[in-house]
Parts: sequence; C-alpha cells; structure tokens
Amino acid sequence: MANQSRRDFLKTAALAGAAVTGLSSKVKAGPKNILSENRMGALIDTTVCIGCRKCEWACKTAHAMETQSIETYDDRSVFKNSRRPTDKALTVVNEYPNDISENFPIDVKVQCMHCDHPACVSACIVGAFSKQENGSVVWDGDKCIGCRYCMVACPFQIPAFEFDKALKPDIKKCDFCNERTTKGKLPACTEICPVEAITYGTREDLVKAAHQKIKLYPNRYIDRVLGEYEVGGTSWMYLSSKEFEKLDFPKLGKDPAPGVSETIQHGIFAYFVPPVALYALLGGVMWINKNKKKHDSGAEGE
Amino acid sequence: MKTRIFILMFFCVLAISAQNKKTPPSMVGLTCKNCHTSAVPTKDKPAVKPCPRDNMVSVDQPAGKGPEVVTIDKLKNQTNVYSPVVFAHRLHAEMSGMSGGCKTCHHYNPQGQVIGCSECHEANRKREDVSKPDLNGAYHRQCMDCHRALNGKTSCVQCHQLNISGHQPDTQNPAMSIGKKVHPVIVAPTSLKFDTPQAPGKLVTFHHEEHVKLFKLECQNCHSNENCIKCHAENKIESIKTRTTEQRHAVCSNCHNTKENCGSCHADKPKTGFDHKEYTGFDLTRFHSKVTCNRCHVEKGNFGLLKKECANCHGVWTQDNFPHKKTGVVLDEIHSTLGCTDCHQEKDYSKPACTSCHDDKSYPKNIPGKLTGKTLSKN
Amino acid sequence: MDKFKPVPMKKKFFTPTVIVLSGLALNGLVFLLARFIWGIGAVTNLDNQHPWGIWIGLDVAAGVALAAGGFTTAAIGHIMHKDQYHSIIRPALLTALLGYTFVASSVMIDLGRYYYIWHPLIMWNGSSVLFEVGICVMIYLTVLYIEFLPVVTERFIGRVNLPGFVKRFNNPVDKILRILDRGLDKTMFIFIIAGVVLSCLHQSSLGTLMVIAGPKMHPLWQTPILPLLFLISAISVGLPMVIFESLITSRSFGLKPEMDILSDLGSMIGPLLGIYLAFKIGDVMIRKTFVYLMEFNTASIMFTIELLFGVIIPLRMFLSRQVLKSPVGLLIASFLVIFGVFINRMNNFLIAYTPPYEVHSYFPSVGEISVTVGFIALEILLFRLMVMIFPIVSVQQVSKPRTKYFVRGSAK
Repeated sequence: MANQSRRDFLKTAALAGAAVTGLSSKVKAGPKNILSENRMGALIDTTVCIGCRKCEWACKTAHAMETQSIETYDDRSVFKNSRRPTDKALTVVNEYPNDISENFPIDVKVQCMHCDHPACVSACIVGAFSKQENGSVVWDGDKCIGCRYCMVACPFQIPAFEFDKALKPDIKKCDFCNERTTKGKLPACTEICPVEAITYGTREDLVKAAHQKIKLYPNRYIDRVLGEYEVGGTSWMYLSSKEFEKLDFPKLGKDPAPGVSETIQHGIFAYFVPPVALYALLGGVMWINKNKKKHDSGAEGE
Repeated sequence: MKTRIFILMFFCVLAISAQNKKTPPSMVGLTCKNCHTSAVPTKDKPAVKPCPRDNMVSVDQPAGKGPEVVTIDKLKNQTNVYSPVVFAHRLHAEMSGMSGGCKTCHHYNPQGQVIGCSECHEANRKREDVSKPDLNGAYHRQCMDCHRALNGKTSCVQCHQLNISGHQPDTQNPAMSIGKKVHPVIVAPTSLKFDTPQAPGKLVTFHHEEHVKLFKLECQNCHSNENCIKCHAENKIESIKTRTTEQRHAVCSNCHNTKENCGSCHADKPKTGFDHKEYTGFDLTRFHSKVTCNRCHVEKGNFGLLKKECANCHGVWTQDNFPHKKTGVVLDEIHSTLGCTDCHQEKDYSKPACTSCHDDKSYPKNIPGKLTGKTLSKN
Repeated sequence: MDKFKPVPMKKKFFTPTVIVLSGLALNGLVFLLARFIWGIGAVTNLDNQHPWGIWIGLDVAAGVALAAGGFTTAAIGHIMHKDQYHSIIRPALLTALLGYTFVASSVMIDLGRYYYIWHPLIMWNGSSVLFEVGICVMIYLTVLYIEFLPVVTERFIGRVNLPGFVKRFNNPVDKILRILDRGLDKTMFIFIIAGVVLSCLHQSSLGTLMVIAGPKMHPLWQTPILPLLFLISAISVGLPMVIFESLITSRSFGLKPEMDILSDLGSMIGPLLGIYLAFKIGDVMIRKTFVYLMEFNTASIMFTIELLFGVIIPLRMFLSRQVLKSPVGLLIASFLVIFGVFINRMNNFLIAYTPPYEVHSYFPSVGEISVTVGFIALEILLFRLMVMIFPIVSVQQVSKPRTKYFVRGSAK
C-alpha cells in the first residue's frame, strides 16, 4: 500500500462507493406486498362453530394432502389435546370448555391469519412469501431455501416445515386457497362449513358485520373482534364469547409485527447512506494515518 | 304455495309501490316500521332491519297444519358429499309446541304464512350481504343448536346419508318413518309439589294452571330456551341434580323475589292457590273478575304498588259519575242526592249499615231500597 | 532489534489432541451424512415450535461473533496503522476466514433446501434482515479470501511445484500468482475497509435478526437496541479471541507468547466491555425488565451468568495490570469474554425464544451437538494445518528490516 498514490486511492474509493449506491436502488425491490382495499377476509364465529372438523378434511383434500375418509373426522376425542397446524394439516380445530353452558363447548379453528402486514413477507430472505391483492399470504416454493426464518418471525406461530424430508422440504401453511379463489371458488374450509362459522367476504364488510353482530347480541359476544387491530390487522378475524387469551390466542399489540425490525433495518440502510458514510470515514482515517506514518518516517530519514 | 310465499316476502314493497291494491290478509297488523328502518322504504333502498327485529309480529299455527316430512334438497347441486336430509317436520313442530312454537325455527317470520329458510337466507355462500348466514349455515344452525345439546354429537351421518351413489334419495332413511310418527300431546299439569332441602319450608307448591290461566303467562315466558332437550337429554337426571340454588330458582326469579320472600313459596304444608283477597285484602271476585292483572298492575313485574283505592285505576268518583247500579244496589231519588261519604264513612265502600243514618222507626221496613236480589243475596 | 516474522510452523501434525479432535470431527461428519440422507428432522430436535437450534444459535450467531477478531485487528492494524500489531493480523485473519467458512457451512446444512443457497444472490428482499446478513456474510467471506491471498502468493511465488503431469502448469500458475500479488497490492485497502464495513453491518444485523420475533422472545433480551448490543459485543470479543488464539497457538507450537502486544491489546478490552456493560444495564433499566430478574427461572439465571461471568468479571480482570501482564490471567479473562458472548448469542437465539404454543422446550439432540462439535474440531485442525503450510504465525527472529513480502524470490 506504500506506493498507493492519493489519486488512485480516491478513484478506487469513489468507484466502490458508486457500485454500492447502485446496488441500493435495486435492493428496495422486494416481494409483492399489496394491501388492497378490496382484499378478502374470513370471519370465524367461534360461538357458531360446532367442531365438526369438516374444514380439516376439506383443506387436506383441496391441497392434495394425505387424509383419512370424511367420516373419521366425526371423532371428537382428538379435542383432548390442543393441536397446532403442521406440515400435515394446515388447519386444525381445538375445543375449549364453555363456562356458561357446558353443552356447547367453544371450538376454535386455527390457521394462518393472513396478516395485513405479514412478518413472514418481511422476514423471508428470498421474498418467497407475498401478500396478494386478494388478501392471501402465499408461499412460493420455487424461491424458498428452507431457512425457516418465517417460522421465527410469525407472531401466530403458523408456518410449518417438512422436517422429515431430505430433499425439497416445503414450508406448509394455509394459503387462503389462493388457487381456488382466483378461479372464483370459495376457500375449501369456507365452502364445506355446515354452519357457516367461517364467513367469506371483503375484509371491510366482515369488520362491519362483526360489529353489528356484537351490537345485536351483546350477551353472546365479548366486545372485540380479534384480528381487527392485532399486529396491524389480519385478513382472518374471530368473534368469541370468551376472552381470546383463554382460547389460546397470543396476546399481541396493535403494531405490525415487522414494524420495529423494518425500522431498524431501513434506518441502517437508509439509501445506503450509513454504510457508505462509514466506508468513507474509515477510508479517511486510513489515509490520514498512512500519511502520518509516511511523514514521520520521512522526518526520521532526514 | 311458492308464489304465495313470494308475495309474502315482498308485501311491503308491493304495498308501497301500490301495485297490489288489495291488502293481503297476512299484512293485517303490520306497519312498514316492523321490518324497515326507513319510514319510506323504496325498492332500491329497502332499508330492511337486520334480524333480530324487535316487536316482530310472529307466526303461530297448530303443528298439524305443517307438512309431515320435508326433504331439504335446495342445496343438492352444491355438494355431493352428503345426500339431502329428510326432515320429520311434523314431529319437530309438535315437540316445539311447548316452547316457541313455529317461531322456534321460523324466526322473524311475519304474521300469516309460514315461510321457509331460503326466503331470507341466500343459497349462494359467496354473496353481498354477509350479515346473516347463508342457507346452508341457516339450516345447520337451526338443527345443531338442539342436536348438539341433545347428545353433544356433531357427526353428519346423524341426519345425512353419506352420498356414495349419486343423488339418489335414500328410502331407508329413518326420518321417513319417524316423519309419520306423532309426538304425544304435552299435558300441562295443574299443580306440582317440590321437595326442597330448605328448612323450614320444605315444600314448594307450584300451581301451574293458575300461572297459565290466572296470570295469563305464555308457555315460553317460563319455558324459554327450552327445546327437545328439556325432556330428551341423555343425562337429564344428572344435570337436574347438579343444578345450583341459583339455577333452581332461575325460572321463578323472573317474577318473584326469590332472594328474600322465601315464605311466599316455601312452606311446610302444601299451599293453596293464589287468592287476591287473601293475599292483598282486595276482593276481585265481585267486580274485577274479568280484568287482566296488567290492567291495574301497569308496571311490569311490580305488583306491590297499588293500595286498596279505586282511584288507582278509576280516577275520582263522585256521586254524579259513579254508576251505583253496577254494585247491585240501585239508589232511589232520595239517596242519589247524597254524597258518597254520607253513607260510606272512612272510605269503607263495602255495604254500609243503614243504622248509621236511620233508626228502626224512621224508615219503612218494607222499602229500604230497590234490590236486584241476586247480588245482594250473594253477600 | 528483534523482529517477529511469520513463517510456516515446522512440527509433527499428529499429536494426541489432534487425534481426539479428528475423532470428533469424523463423528460430526457421520451425523452430517445422516442429515443429508434422512433430512433435518432425523438428526435434530427441531420442530415447528423451534425452527432454529444450535446450528443457527451457536454455529452461526456465536460463530460470527467469535470470528470478529478478523475485522477488529484489521481496523487496528491497517486502518489505524498501528504497525506493532501486524504480527497478530494474520492469525486473526485465518481465524476469521475459517470461522466464516464454517458459519457458511453451518447455514448450508441447516437450510432445508441447501442447494438453493445461491438464491439470495438473485432473489432480493430489502426488508429482510436475514437477507442483509446473508449477503454481507457472503461478500465478507469473499473479502476474507481475497485478504488471505497475499499469504498464498507469499508462500508459493517462485515455489510452485505441481506434481506429475500438471508440472507444465508450474510457470503459468506462478505468473498468475505474481499478477495477483501486484494487483492486490494496489487494491487491498478497498477490501480491508469493505471488510470492516461489512462486518459492522452484519454483526449488528445479526442482533436485528431476532427483533422480528417480537413477543416470542423473552423481554430480558428483546430490545430495539439489539443490533447495537451485538455490534459492541462483537467488537469487544474480537480482541479476546485474538489473545486467546495467540496464547493457545504459542503453547501448542512451543513459542514464547508475544506478551507486549497481547498486554497492549488487553488494555483496550476493558473500556470496550465497560461500554457494553453500560448499554446492557441501561437497556435493562430503561425498559424496566429487571423485574424479570427477580423471578427464579432459566431466563434469569442465564442472563445473570451471561452478564456476571461474561462481562463484569472479565471487565474487572482486564482493568488489572497484574492480569494484563500474566499469560494465564489474560487467557482466563479472554476466555471469560468469549464464553460470555457465546452464552449471550445462545441466550438470544435459543433461551430467549419462547414460542407461544410450546409443548416442550428445545434441547439439542446428540446429532446436533455432534455436528457442532465436529465442526469446531475440524476448524481447529484446519487452523493447525494452515499455520503449518502458510506463513501465518510470527516467530521472533533476528532479521533484516521488514518489507512486505520478503520471502519472495531468492529471499530464502
């Protein structure tokens, strides 16, 4: 480095800086993350759900997953254990006791909430997740590298991974039947539900309908629509007669899940100014120190 | 039938647009406000109130008037997993007799013709108005509310046949045979005696007939939210035994103060029925026997306010406006000029003694006044 | 004046320790093979509740932090131009190089679709912290290899001696090495600065990584200043790592430890640890999370261990002149800092991570531990091998005035 001239130094440094800045304009490109006003949603009324588990069967059938025959889903003994969506079942129903009338236990269907500001979309290293115009948050198997950061990020602990597969393991989660709905069909679980505990419609309508229900039947519901504000709002929402925390819903704030992380991230990389500035600063320090040394040694030599 | 139902559904619209000048019989007693939020609903903006609608005029008819069996196949084109349900309508109607009657299921059904679910509930699940369930949801919610309570089972094959060979209606369906069955008439008891753990006052005598006939209570005033399960629950005895004190008193406490006045129901001996004179000192049998309770006891549920004064209900009576004839005593010319308090001293309006004015000699014994014998002889 | 000059170590490769390490490495490789044949689930205790285990929490997170010696010494030696530390730059560089290589390997084996590891290069997600970490680590790894190239050229220029029929390539290879050497000489400063910048970026972003887990992370650790804490702790652990590695190497090859340099380096660690401790305590105070320390559970115990043994005790030690002058004292103090950062990374990624629907807690399987231990063993073995092939460790010797590549040509 001793024979490095000042001009060379500046030239190369400027070049490197330009290359990095050039990069920045492209990095802003990310996965599709649309928050359409007409996005669809689903409203689950847990006071209506009878826990027949037909949604579980329909989901597996629609996603070409392995399933037993439909009659086996009448077995209510599975409710003894609390279950979670896995790579083998994208949605499951859990049952909780009803303190008011024990003949009507509370059944809660669990699946991806399809957040309005999805943590998985923000987190995914290759942008394999995207929020579609119709409200669904979908996973792209062609991009995924299987790092499972989406599972770390998801506030509802939904994405599941095929740990038992050595080759091409998938991330499995409810996709709001994106393929079916784009063809004009209903999501499989919504279609089969015998009591229409899952109402499908635009999110806007559903929020209105939910509040109307609460107003009309104040004794039947607690005055809260889960998913209206949680983590910045979700496409799937719930009504209940019991506090949601007692139905194993996580206690979450109103801020979008990726909020803090993205603020930090975008702060560090605001138009690549901080890294480039650091680069320039270090370059300056290096140059000054080198010249000082040179000067010192030159003085000694004299 | 279908066209008639159709007309019913749109009776208000029809009335407003005056296309049908004749008022259908079903509309009697209805105003637009029963169903519409707007005073002037139009075809484009019907402004229909969301269910449940308050003060809705409901339908009621004997169970025998409905169909015996209904095959619910309106949705058979939507799914082929299960075959249509054959619904024993008559039997269910008879069972609901004691509770809500037709409106147990045909809720928010305006007076007149009974209409089916599909008139209000859309068959297409993907729809504009999501405030009420679609047809499939409406059907199942009605059935499952009772059937879940009956045995906790939710399996589809309780009502449906798993459709393996197309849409063939299954003649082996048990509902077909059940449909012909008749539910025994539910006999209302006259009175019931309950043994309670309360001491003293072990015995509670409940005069059922009295509550129905005298107090004019409707079945569902007490038997609310009751359905088949009241009798057909699998663990009935068990659930009765484990009820809390509060649950036991729940039915009565709608009208009675069960927290304090234990003695009004609990006693060591069976109680006789309600006697207004005995309980309140105000005899109703003579002149008020046909008056319903709420004519006087206007405030709902509060029976303690009134004192034994006519003015509570009748306003101020003077000798001029009181039809004394109705008491059975026609006042002659001389007596009609007297003020009320001249004979009825100290607000005692029962039969006055003549001696307070007359002595034995000063009025003719054979003409004390014209009597309408019957009433007097009763006293 | 005595000068330190880097030379390849001349010693028997196999010692009892090396044989034990080889066994451990082999054992790890066997489990690794199983992972590729039967999948991640067959070898690890990972499940849908615990998507990340020690392969990420220790191998990657702690691995990156402990390889921070590379950029801290580069900053001190090259950017600050403190020439007296030049003798420790090469070992630190090699440690970083090997460290990052194994970090990358660990990431790769942990990826469900490891064969798509190149996807982030063309599929970008600017808002993803992991994307940034991934890209930075990839570039930094390349930079590290470039920074290491002069060592290769120094070793082989004029001595290219390929066996057998490839002998005819001896001259072209030598020429390429010489061109590389000349080119690198002019541009090396770009890579050195880039290395430091990239390190700062991904060391801090490694902390941001868990911020998105939000309430799934224990409040003792979940804080918006995680990136800052990670960066400061990485800088703080860089020098202890160099000291530790230098002392162990000296002992292993029977050299005299360069106590002058190491004591000097040691005196810088105290203030760094002090800053780190201030931030850490400030964070706990401002967010009022100290209430969780009153509870008696794994989280509070681990937090206390991390802070007490990993920061407070070594901080006191590095402030003592006696410790700085004694090789054993330095070794222990450095080890404690390394231990502290190791525990901190483990706490952040594993202990603090409490998913809402947790049926059972995570403990690494035999397979996971074997692979991690195997990788560490392999890293140590490679380090030993590398210092025996390349001129990395400086040996005190009487020599001519120092020039950059004095082995070149006829220098020997």
